Amino acid sequence: MKIAPLINQATKVLPLTLAFGFALSMGGCASTPVPNERMAVAEAAVARANSTGTSENAASQLLVATTKLERARQAVIDKDNELAAQLSEQVVLDAQVAELHAQSERSRKAAAESKDAARALSEEINRKPAQ
Amino acid sequence: MNIRLMSLLTLTAALVACGSVPERNLALDQARGNFNQAEHDPEVLGLAPAELKLANESLMQAQQSWTSGAPRSTVDHLAYIASQRVAIARETASSTAYQSISSGAAAKREQVRLAARTEEAKKAQQQLALSQQSNARKDEQVNDLEAQLKDLNARRTDRGMVVTLGDILFDSGKSQLLPGAQGNMAKLADVFKRNPQRTASIEGYTDNVGSVSSNLELSSRRANAVMAALVSEGVPAMRLSAKSFGEGNPVASNDTPAGRQMNRRVEIVFAQESVRILAQ
Repeated sequence: MKIAPLINQATKVLPLTLAFGFALSMGGCASTPVPNERMAVAEAAVARANSTGTSENAASQLLVATTKLERARQAVIDKDNELAAQLSEQVVLDAQVAELHAQSERSRKAAAESKDAARALSEEINRKPAQ
Repeated sequence: MNIRLMSLLTLTAALVACGSVPERNLALDQARGNFNQAEHDPEVLGLAPAELKLANESLMQAQQSWTSGAPRSTVDHLAYIASQRVAIARETASSTAYQSISSGAAAKREQVRLAARTEEAKKAQQQLALSQQSNARKDEQVNDLEAQLKDLNARRTDRGMVVTLGDILFDSGKSQLLPGAQGNMAKLADVFKRNPQRTASIEGYTDNVGSVSSNLELSSRRANAVMAALVSEGVPAMRLSAKSFGEGNPVASNDTPAGRQMNRRVEIVFAQESVRILAQ
């Protein structure tokens, strides 16, 4: 009495579920919309990172970001939206790595200079009483 | 229940459909290695915990996509994202570490500068204390001399401490010191011994009775007699000088016998030591 309607309901729903699953799998494998938003974010990230400070201290990291952005643009043109989405996502991080590396380099140099200055000062002061 | 089970099965089927699960994924292995290294680096762990957490989430996402059989390109992509997040954590940590070195060095520089300034101030203070001490010692010496000369009725004048030897120490018109002067001479010699830096001039004076020249001569002989007595008591002659003023510089009126007696005298003037110190 109770089982029959359940089976009945399942047979009704089954095609719908399969169709949904198929659509999902198609989406995962192939066509994704043009990642306009992600591309814009990537463009902005590279523009921000592309400063003299970064190109001086993190040239190779910046090059990775700019060439990848170029590839992402090409992927959009080629309508390979999946690739464009992935590349643009990577570009944002690449640009961030370049910026941070440059900052870290600047901090390293500043630390070295600071240490030198401190050493020079204590040497100068230590020399004074001997006068 | 059935519906959920069905859709799960379908989803798995769909994922499998995209490609078979590969044995290993190099990019994922690398990301995992990068993360493990960073996770065990105390600098990264301590200075970029938020960035490290994001990297961990990305790594888990990549791992999940791999175990659920996502296409290689997707796993590669997510693994790359995880690796870059590890790089971000590393760069953030090293940047912060260098900055703390800079501020530490700046703080040390300040400390060194402050220490130097403190040292200078201390030295200045010591110098001040020293000069105050030497001033005090000078005062003490003067006071000491004053105390020592007190028995001899010394007076303090602009020229220094002056001890006056009255004419009772000489016979009238004579320059021979009477035996009664011996006590005073011994006291004076003692003062010279205790103040080896002191010099003194011995000045002879008379009243206005008699000729100027005879008075000058008498005052000279008396001054020299006092000087000889002091030298015989052991005072080096180099520290003494005898001068004669005759009836000059009277300290009282020559009109009365008492005034004339006061004018007949030998003065021993102790030079101001502070003047001599300044001249050195």
